[in-house]
Amino acid sequence: MSLFVRVPPRELWARLVAPAALTALKLSVVTSAIATAAVMALGLPVAHLFATGRFRGKRALETLVELPMVLPPTVAGLGLLLAFGREGLVGRALDVFGVTLPFTTAAVVLAQAFVATPFFVSAATAGFREVDARYTDAAATLGAGPGYTFRRVLLPLALPSVLAGAATAWARALGEFGATIMFAGNLPGTTQTLPLAVYIGLQTDLQTAVALSVILLIFSFTLLFGLRLAHRAPRVRRVTSGPGDAR
Amino acid sequence: MVRATLAKRRGDFRLDLALETAERTTLVVVGESGAGKTTLLRLLAGLEMPDSGRVEVNGRVYFDAAAGINLPAWEREVGLVSQDYALFPHLTVRENVAFGLRAQGAGRRAARARADEALERLRIADLADRHPGALSGGQQQRVALARALVPRPRLLLLDEPLAALDPGTRLMVRGEIRALLSRLECATIVVTHSPLDATVFGDAIAVIERGALTQVGPRDDLLRHPRSPYVATLLGINLFQGRVVRSDPGGIAHVQTADGLLAAADPGVDGDVFLLVHPQEITLYSERPAGSALNVFHGPVVELAPEPPAGNLVRVALGTSPPLVAEITSQSVASLGLREGVSVYASFKATGVRAYR
Repeated sequence: MSLFVRVPPRELWARLVAPAALTALKLSVVTSAIATAAVMALGLPVAHLFATGRFRGKRALETLVELPMVLPPTVAGLGLLLAFGREGLVGRALDVFGVTLPFTTAAVVLAQAFVATPFFVSAATAGFREVDARYTDAAATLGAGPGYTFRRVLLPLALPSVLAGAATAWARALGEFGATIMFAGNLPGTTQTLPLAVYIGLQTDLQTAVALSVILLIFSFTLLFGLRLAHRAPRVRRVTSGPGDAR
Repeated sequence: MVRATLAKRRGDFRLDLALETAERTTLVVVGESGAGKTTLLRLLAGLEMPDSGRVEVNGRVYFDAAAGINLPAWEREVGLVSQDYALFPHLTVRENVAFGLRAQGAGRRAARARADEALERLRIADLADRHPGALSGGQQQRVALARALVPRPRLLLLDEPLAALDPGTRLMVRGEIRALLSRLECATIVVTHSPLDATVFGDAIAVIERGALTQVGPRDDLLRHPRSPYVATLLGINLFQGRVVRSDPGGIAHVQTADGLLAAADPGVDGDVFLLVHPQEITLYSERPAGSALNVFHGPVVELAPEPPAGNLVRVALGTSPPLVAEITSQSVASLGLREGVSVYASFKATGVRAYR
């Protein structure tokens, strides 16, 4: 509330369309969207494995994937920097191909994906676990291999949870600060995302910082509110697909 | 041919059996809940792995513990209709039925055509665009059957096909399933807890008790010669075991059972025999009957149950020694004033008792 009171609407708008703010906003939206897509692409198979697989060390692996959820983001960022830095294990390997990650836009995406992954994976895993085994069993006896069953049965039935996980992951990626500033730095136009711009704005231009904060606030509210609506959707659909539903 | 030997241990429960059945034949495995019926089907379908044994369908080996063969469920040509049908809630009826073909790589149009054909055959074509949630139990079952049959399985498994239906629907569906099964090219195995369903569906019947088959044979053979009290109870027949102690010249044998002496038509053999009394052979009286009947017992009515599908008959369980089950008309129940706890005399002729070894 105090954020809203601070700046009159017209002033707010003027601050938002200022080039620096726009750049940060655009960068944030683009990087967080890519990060979310990457998290989904990688997270779906992992969640599927966690939900249906039985193997040694599964608990340990699950804990490992969940770790970024509780880790201070700065620690995550430092870890990423050490791993992907020039002297890092992965960094040295990438350096051979002339690829340097730290302090690039790609590093922003990586930092966001890293901290957002557990939110998606845990939601999707729970979603897959909730799907009754009799459906996947039925699919198997109908000749559907694991891949087909996943695409046509498991994923559609777990879709509400998967989307909820994606939305949460996206929100987390959008708000990412600590890991980004450690691993990607704060270069306007390249790595300065919205939260970073807010932080910098606090020291130079308070009004802009407030304006950007308001944006994040509105966006987060919309996302969470939409999630709540979406969560109720499946039940609503089941009711409406009654006997009269002849498409 | 379907040939299976299966062993599976789960905690205290142990399933260990062998069975064999052929194309165009329905084998019904009948037994109480917890006897291992569903487990048996899951082992055959490949949804669970046996500890040991072998499963072969039409010459193709699905499982062989010794040879290390274990085909996954989706590579076995086995259709399964589970007790609650498990129709995919997010797909329409047509998509459900076409699922198997699509999963095996058939084109959208071809799969759709075959699905529609199957829906037509089961007379549910008008439901094609509905979702399963909008169907009645009987309709869901037909969809489940169509879905399992469209991929042309070599072996069809039905788990308690009537359990999820209300009694009214059950009567109608029982006949439909029976007709459908008689037209199928593949081998069919039905598991049920209902002796009635077993006798209606089964060309052959296998009785499962605590994970083992205790009697297997053609339906009529089983009805005529049950070999354990459990099978007899299951089929609603009175069965006693005893020893022939004396044979009268009049063709009457006296048989000593654990619960007393019974008179039976002389089997012409000595020693241990089974005695079978059909419930309809037993007459009930409120007073001790006069006359020549040799087998007269006295005891309270324990239970009265209308006997479907005839509807007009009532099964009366008696607390006599030995315990008996009689089947009489509902008119007789009324005229005798029968209800639980009322004492009655039960009598049957010696010629109504069949003795066999």
